[in-house]
Amino acid sequence: MELNNSKIKIKAKNLNVYYGKKQALFDINLDINQKEVTALIGPSGCGKSTFIRCINRMNDVIDICKVEGSVEIDGAEINEKNVDVVTLREKVGMVFQKPNPFPKSIYDNIAYGPIIHGAAENKDQMDNIVETSLKKAALWDEVKDRLNEPGTSLSGGQQQRLCIARALSVNPEVILMDEPCSALDPIATAKIEELIDDLKKSYTIVIVTHSMAQAVRVSQKTGFFHLGKIIEVDSTDKIFKNPANKMTQDYITGRFG
Amino acid sequence: MSGTGHTVKSYEEEMQSLNDNLVMMGSLTENQMADAMAAVIKVDKESVDKIVKNDGKINELRSTIDNQITTVLVKRAPMAVDLRITISTMKISHDLERIGDLAKSVAKKVKPLPVDLPDELIGSLRRLGDLVQKQLKDALDAYLNKSKDKAIEIWKKDEQVDDLTNLAMNEVATYLQKDKKNLEMATHLLFVTKNIERAGDHITNIAESLYYLIEGEYLEGARPKGKPIES
Repeated sequence: MELNNSKIKIKAKNLNVYYGKKQALFDINLDINQKEVTALIGPSGCGKSTFIRCINRMNDVIDICKVEGSVEIDGAEINEKNVDVVTLREKVGMVFQKPNPFPKSIYDNIAYGPIIHGAAENKDQMDNIVETSLKKAALWDEVKDRLNEPGTSLSGGQQQRLCIARALSVNPEVILMDEPCSALDPIATAKIEELIDDLKKSYTIVIVTHSMAQAVRVSQKTGFFHLGKIIEVDSTDKIFKNPANKMTQDYITGRFG
Repeated sequence: MSGTGHTVKSYEEEMQSLNDNLVMMGSLTENQMADAMAAVIKVDKESVDKIVKNDGKINELRSTIDNQITTVLVKRAPMAVDLRITISTMKISHDLERIGDLAKSVAKKVKPLPVDLPDELIGSLRRLGDLVQKQLKDALDAYLNKSKDKAIEIWKKDEQVDDLTNLAMNEVATYLQKDKKNLEMATHLLFVTKNIERAGDHITNIAESLYYLIEGEYLEGARPKGKPIES
């Protein structure tokens, strides 16, 4: 289905999520376009992180979490019993709020995923994956001479790009980012944002952010969540210049939340 | 525009102060326009210096508003309606300042005019001045009430300003043709007429900015234009 000349990559339909008896998401319907950046905004606890965790079934790891409804990627339901979550998470990578490199070398941080997935047959192929992934994450030039140093020795911004490179190393199609810049300084943030802009040519990106300005800078589409419901979703331009819903306007202009 | 105030009180106060200054600027501009027109119609040369001096107050307010807007942009990165208020206030304040300048220019033309200005020359001019003053008052009221319909009405009504301008200029041209000695006076009056018409154009800009503030979209299509009168 074509919408605004964009292909829908991810389609959430009547999605309800419960943590035990508490309902966290209510009947979410949201289309995410391919090779675009979709920003999700809303007050803390509104369900935006819960929502993106539905896209790679990260909620499966929480015992009391129950997901109802549908999430399709390229038209295929990801919540079917026979879907292999490891393969799903290879396709849908994730970057978290706080950079979380493995306590390993820079090289091994990138090589870890491809090793698990058997993506490289020999050292040359693995070297190539590591170099390509680091280049895609705009980190190669800064680390190429210190690949054996621990990932944790890098600065916060570099660590976050290392985590992005790690996500890219297994050739994902979708990258989920949960407040990827909240722990970073403005320059490191700018580098990540520049990277997001570049990555959207090849990947579908969903970013949760508390920075309205960041949502405006990086995304083409924005969804506003409140109390587990999606209140308004539209082009980013429309949401931040002239939102249709008063609640959206009140939130982005700092009148509540 | 939004029933709820900002969570940050100082932001609310900054936006309120911006609004208050714009309203004050509008009020001063309205007075200047009225004083300038009265000076022309009565050929009241004594009021000219005061009008010229008062223009400084409008310029000062514009400068204050410019500074306030720069601060709001830096401090608050306004979004949605706040962004539109900020942008529109900047544009409206610049239009008001230009209207103030034009009122001053009108007033300055009074000094070289003969005190016994013939009635046949000021009929259309007076009507033009009245209409432009009404347009300005309506624009400022529409701003206060955030009235989209009024903004559209003002925008469309500029056609009448164009028509009256053409009529007034035609009258001056006819008078000039009677006697070449009228050249200097006629030239001054042509400038006066044109300046009032230009003020009218700035008022339509204000209506457009107001429409954008309210609707988040620009007024579509070309504004109706008055037809020039063949002389």
